[in-house]
Amino acid sequence: MAVLRQYLTYQGIPVWRHALIIQWAAQIASAILVVALVMWFFGNMAFAIDDREIPFGFSFLSREYQTPIGEHILPYESSDTFLYALVVAATNTVVVAVAGVILATLLGIFIGVCRLSPNWIVARLATVYIEFFRNVPLLVQLFFWFYIILALPTVREGYVIADLFYVNNAGISFPSPTASGAAPALVWLALAVVAVVAGVIVHHRLVRREEETGRQSYPFVVGCATTVGVAAVGWLVLSGIFGEAPFAVSTPAPQGRFGRIDGGVTIRAGMLVMLIGLVIYTASFIAEIVRAGIQSVGRGQTEAARALGLSPMNTLRQVTFPQALRVIIPPWISQCLNLTKNSSLGGVVGYTDLTNVAITMTQTAPAINIFLMLMAAYLAMSLTWSLIGNLYNRHIRFTG
Amino acid sequence: MVARYLKYLGCGAILLALLASFACGQEEPTTPAQSAPAAVQPSPDALEATAALTAGEATAMENQGVSRLQIVRDRGTLVCASINTVAGFGFLDSGGNTVGFDIDLCRAVAAAVLGNPDAVEFRTTTAAERGPAIQSGEIDIMSRNTTWTSTRDAAWGNFAQTMFYDGQGFMVPRSLGITGMLELRDASICVQQGTTTELNIQDFDNQNSMNFDILTFPDGVSSNDAYLSGQCDSLTTDRSGLVSTRSGFDSPDDHIILPGTISEEPLGPLVPHGDDQWFDVVKTVMAILIYAEAYGVTSDNVPSIATGDTKVDRLFGLEGSFGQEALGFPDTVARDVIRGVGNYGEIYERHLTPLGLQRDGSRNALWSNAPCRDCPRGGQIYAAPLR
Repeated sequence: MAVLRQYLTYQGIPVWRHALIIQWAAQIASAILVVALVMWFFGNMAFAIDDREIPFGFSFLSREYQTPIGEHILPYESSDTFLYALVVAATNTVVVAVAGVILATLLGIFIGVCRLSPNWIVARLATVYIEFFRNVPLLVQLFFWFYIILALPTVREGYVIADLFYVNNAGISFPSPTASGAAPALVWLALAVVAVVAGVIVHHRLVRREEETGRQSYPFVVGCATTVGVAAVGWLVLSGIFGEAPFAVSTPAPQGRFGRIDGGVTIRAGMLVMLIGLVIYTASFIAEIVRAGIQSVGRGQTEAARALGLSPMNTLRQVTFPQALRVIIPPWISQCLNLTKNSSLGGVVGYTDLTNVAITMTQTAPAINIFLMLMAAYLAMSLTWSLIGNLYNRHIRFTG
Repeated sequence: MVARYLKYLGCGAILLALLASFACGQEEPTTPAQSAPAAVQPSPDALEATAALTAGEATAMENQGVSRLQIVRDRGTLVCASINTVAGFGFLDSGGNTVGFDIDLCRAVAAAVLGNPDAVEFRTTTAAERGPAIQSGEIDIMSRNTTWTSTRDAAWGNFAQTMFYDGQGFMVPRSLGITGMLELRDASICVQQGTTTELNIQDFDNQNSMNFDILTFPDGVSSNDAYLSGQCDSLTTDRSGLVSTRSGFDSPDDHIILPGTISEEPLGPLVPHGDDQWFDVVKTVMAILIYAEAYGVTSDNVPSIATGDTKVDRLFGLEGSFGQEALGFPDTVARDVIRGVGNYGEIYERHLTPLGLQRDGSRNALWSNAPCRDCPRGGQIYAAPLR
């Protein structure tokens, strides 16, 4: 016994009481378990595929899909391949995710700031908004918006504003610029770049002036005005030179026997429901994150800023919010991920997002392969959000 | 320190126990010496002591070579993938029971295999999830107006018998004043996801350059709502489905089903791949329903003593055999089936006639109703002879 005990000691401590050994043993044991579990899952899958002759393989990707995709931002024909159809569907998901994150962030910041407003009514309204939309399941909310949109008049009886804007239960249509040709489009692109650069330079100058002299200079407003101004002047000049506008305006108009709206840009009902539902739901979470972030900044910061004579708005913009961002960004990233993943509910309201199309594909292609690809696609999107968020987080964190 | 040690051991033991119960039959993972003493291995008896067989275990048993017929008998219920939103075929009645034409097909199989038409567990599946559902092998039979296609036959399971011949049609509001399918050019069409209709409409669009705007919805409820609200101009599915849907509208007369079909839709039950006996069992039950009608036997006049009509007596196990023993049935199987659910005609009249789906002169009349042996006047309902 004593001999055995001697072998079972390390650095003079019995191994079952040695912290280092226990930690390593636990690490190794869990690693083996995880590997065994994963191997078992895949083994089981392979066994079932073999046993029940479940179709498996990726050869379907180059086959023609031959199934309609209702809403597609990229051009799509039924003779396109499965792979391309998946790309079309993924684009739909990405568009809803990116637009949704931008809108939800703006709305969330607004609601979160309102929640801290000294105005009693504004603060209460924000609280009610947050508590309501945060506590009702997203699926229920999506159905609610789905039926709200369905209750709009049909495309033939819908609202028409100035013959330019169409609002009906098929979606919202509005005019959009379209390039009148390749060469003018390139010129217009160059002009747009010049205008944006001019705006950024003006913004930069004014920020510096404000910092140096303390004079209120409104860098953002003036910067935007510069961009628009340069673009407008450039357009007029270019039109004079070319004799034609660098881009034409495509206006929506009813077409055919059923009055379907053609031309312009149409945000169709499915995407509209998804955007409204996802933005309103996610904004309620972001609002709480923003509130928590602002409240995490020490009171002394606000008091010092007010003592220096900054207005409440400037205190928030210049002092509190930049510091709050360090607390806000990490949970905000996870809300971006949530919104992206929640967009997979698109199918229930008729939006052809990636999951919806993938499920349809299981009719004519092996389900396991499709779902493997689906998981990889969402993983890639989520990791991209994480990367963007973490890079920004690194940019704004305390250094030194 | 000791507490921490125990915590790790506990975690390891739980994980190990989980793994061991998952992986019965698979190779054991190498057991780390540290956690072994505390790991409680579930004994095989404890696993088998579970009273009722779950579907997952049924799959495991099937893997071990037990026939599905035996699994169903051991379990005491038939697991039937069904639908409960299509009036006439499978829907919830006011009493909360799932009833319909497709539902009775499952009940007929339960009557044949278990002697009790009510020993069925219905699993509701959407159109899109039904393929993976039957591939998983966790259901015994799928009967939810599913079209027999070659891809599905190869990938999903085996189609036993066409029990209803259908074709895809279009419904439009009467107010649009449309009289034919080709007038639907530029229309927006509501269609249910994961159906053959979704594929057929693309073919029709391509062939006739219809320039459809196609909206897909995950189930019949939302596609019907979208159609009724006017989000789409027309609703498309099998004509029987359109008739059934229209019967549920507040004002059915405001909607018309356009003449003509754009596809062939033979509907019938299907069984998982890999068990020929079970495939034969389901085919035979369908044949019993059809031949009972052909021989004029209804649930009210099932013979229990020989009638003298050889065919009837053979069917009902009173004289000779049509292969009951080879199929694993008792001789009297047809009596259980017909007493339990009635013959094909009775099932049709009970569920589909009230919807207005006319049977006489349609493809769903009995072939044997043709006035002469070879004249093409009878319907297409026909099964392999029971003998």
